[in-house]
Amino acid sequence: MKALILNYGVGNLFSISAGLRRADFTVEISGEPRDADLLVLPGVGAFSAVGNFMRKWESTLNDLRRNGVKFLGVCLGMQIMFEEGNEGGKTKGLAWLPGQVDLIKHAPKLPHIGWDRITERNPCSLSEGLDGRYAYFVHSYVAYTSYPAAMTSRYGVEFPALVCSEEVAGTQFHPEKSGETGKIFFQNLKRWLKT
Amino acid sequence: MTTRRIIACLDVKDGKVVKGVRFVDLKSKGDPAELASRYEEEGADEIVFLDISATVEGRRTLLEKVRETASVLSIPLTVGGGVRSVEDVSNLLSNGADKVSLNTIAVENPSVVSMASREFGAQAVVVAIDARRLGEGWRVFTRSGTRDTGLDAVEWAKRVEELGAGEILLTSIDRDGTRDGYDLELTRAVVSMTNVPVIASGGAGKPDHFLSVFKQAGADAALAAGIFHDGVIRIRDLKDYLKVAGIEVRT
Repeated sequence: MKALILNYGVGNLFSISAGLRRADFTVEISGEPRDADLLVLPGVGAFSAVGNFMRKWESTLNDLRRNGVKFLGVCLGMQIMFEEGNEGGKTKGLAWLPGQVDLIKHAPKLPHIGWDRITERNPCSLSEGLDGRYAYFVHSYVAYTSYPAAMTSRYGVEFPALVCSEEVAGTQFHPEKSGETGKIFFQNLKRWLKT
Repeated sequence: MTTRRIIACLDVKDGKVVKGVRFVDLKSKGDPAELASRYEEEGADEIVFLDISATVEGRRTLLEKVRETASVLSIPLTVGGGVRSVEDVSNLLSNGADKVSLNTIAVENPSVVSMASREFGAQAVVVAIDARRLGEGWRVFTRSGTRDTGLDAVEWAKRVEELGAGEILLTSIDRDGTRDGYDLELTRAVVSMTNVPVIASGGAGKPDHFLSVFKQAGADAALAAGIFHDGVIRIRDLKDYLKVAGIEVRT
């Protein structure tokens, strides 16, 4: 299966590429969104920087999505699927999911770095076998949303760890850095892509 | 609650893992990628890869070894040692490092910390502090523990947080390689005065040392090298021990 990782021009795409390759994806990296089995919005950079990049490609991304291309957003890549972000000033997101992205409230320390349990709330095919497992997080911002997250985690607040719809998946954790949890997630992802 | 992390450290010289006592007397312990994936299998939460090569040739091997190691790992990889510029940080990140650790350069040119943090995010920037006890406090040393900077370790830790470090890797030079236990006072002092995760390093010799550095000193992560390389402690056994003792770890 072919995954196209979108290169915003900032940050490191090595880890996510290596993770997808380990899960037997053919990986391509491109600055221009186009048709693929999976389009990946990676988790690098700041919301404002990436939000501006997204503006440029917003209509292309929306078209692809309407044409049935499936998306995976990781960390920041998931966050920009929401309506608005507050990192580096207010920036509009893709608004595929309702809600805002803002600093983690009541966080003991920021950034939130490390392994936390993820809990199933609204099961979907992507959350299969993940309930109660540990996942690796590196972030200071989370989505505040009315959208029913498939899984949540808790750090200061309870926040969405995995969101999924028919054509869009997003993880706040880094599956490519989450050891066995990530491997299970990528297997789920491959099944989800076939449906 | 975020689990306490156990981090395996690979000191790499000319592409091989080595380990010494108090920063000297280095002995070879194997291939970095092989050791790193063994530690992942045993339950390590993260790998730190410190390049201690002194030569240009050694530095070139480094990027290859980082790539090789990062390709086989599905847990985070921090790389440090000899980083001198934002460009070095960028090169390491694009060769597979998830975070880059800055030490000497942070003291000599603190703006590299703030620039790297702005460009790549605080989560990608670790500042390593090597400290030696001096009277009532601790003094920061750079250049592999050879140069006294005159800086107070706790003050410096506060400063690097302001500069944009997302994490502090705190090594006690006095304890490094001795297996006498972490410097709990040093760790506690830095943990209590900063608000970013602190990785304690230097002196791990037995499971009890890890328990104390989490329980008594409040470290977010504990790093060790020699005892893992020599098989004195298996990471899986260590985590079982910590779990029974009431510390939340990823198992």
